[in-house]
Amino acid sequence: MLQQAWSDELDAKRIVDTYGNMLFSICLVILCNEKDAEDAVQDTFITYLTKSPTFNDPEHEKAWLITIATNRCKNMRRYNFIRKHIDINDLQLYSKNDKNHDLLDHLMRLPTKHKVVLLLYYVEGYKVDEIAKILTITTSAVKKRLQRGRELLRERYRKENEYGF
Amino acid sequence: MDFEKIKDAVTSIEMSKAMEDRIKKNIGKKKSIQVNYIRWISVACAFGILLSIMIGMPYLNKNGEIQVANFAITAYALSDDGKQFNTAITSEKATIELATEDRVGALLSISGSGANLIFTDVRLKITGEQIESITYTLSEGKFIEDVTFTSKEYVDKEWLRSEKINFITTEPGSGKYQGIKEVGSTYTVNYNEQEKHKYALAIPHDGNEVIGDDMIIKVNVKYTDGNSEQQDIVVTQESNSISLRLN
Repeated sequence: MLQQAWSDELDAKRIVDTYGNMLFSICLVILCNEKDAEDAVQDTFITYLTKSPTFNDPEHEKAWLITIATNRCKNMRRYNFIRKHIDINDLQLYSKNDKNHDLLDHLMRLPTKHKVVLLLYYVEGYKVDEIAKILTITTSAVKKRLQRGRELLRERYRKENEYGF
Repeated sequence: MDFEKIKDAVTSIEMSKAMEDRIKKNIGKKKSIQVNYIRWISVACAFGILLSIMIGMPYLNKNGEIQVANFAITAYALSDDGKQFNTAITSEKATIELATEDRVGALLSISGSGANLIFTDVRLKITGEQIESITYTLSEGKFIEDVTFTSKEYVDKEWLRSEKINFITTEPGSGKYQGIKEVGSTYTVNYNEQEKHKYALAIPHDGNEVIGDDMIIKVNVKYTDGNSEQQDIVVTQESNSISLRLN
């Protein structure tokens, strides 16, 4: 029993060290609330530890965690749609580079379905067909969301920053 | 617009050390609880099954059937050869031949509504522990008692009415008088005095000795500790016999 508890503790430490920041950044951008993001990450890891799924390779493991986390975020948004949006000034608590704060703020204000696709494509580097599998949607839907997400981001950013990127 | 900057912006987000430690602690704790929970489910199930068996054992009667109360009911009657027999009342039908021939032949109605009653010699007795009293209640019909009296009492109609002796059977020339005393649709008897009160069943019929819908006898037992239990007996007619079974 003690050996099992020790093994669990090691497993918990490993996945938090490996995937903690990656999942937290995704969840924070989707949920725009640090407490909810923490809960979503924690729930994802608990699901991982209790279900103990088997993976073919680390990429498989990562994709599985992202799927669980994004689904958890979507559910949380569905049932708790009124929430305190993270203030741009609070972003410095989580992102040390001030230059990124404006972009993060604009990204967070996008509709969830668009920002999830942008995150998976630009941040995690997944291809369109891989995103389609993770989100269980068609590749054409992924392409449309990518395109619309880029347009919205460009448009919103342009409105506030006349110089653009 | 350089969308590749999204990666730099998002990957710059990091959890605080306090948050990271909190998550590690919480998920480790929840995992341990989950493991123990699953383990304890099995233990709880095993314990539950054992408890069910222990609780259920006293509720099995000698035939291995589920007994719903802590007392047993036995029906007594006279068989065709005049010998008394008894049968335990269970959820299975106990069929008892009606022994009404001697009484009905010379039945004299004094008064009352007994014209449509089948007088049986079926009696009930309860056995159990720590029982103080038993109350029987009929949904239809009456409890009756066979009584004997003298010729002097026989002519005293007021006395017969006060004693609720509504039916008299006579044995011509014997000088002995027997009557059927109406006890009522309910009566209570002390457990230790059951032998003193030999009350039998009188079942209503439609005029052609066919009894109506199922008749219920409620048997309520009061224990010495103040608790009580009840079992219901269903009485049905089958040809020239009646069947008793627990409801």
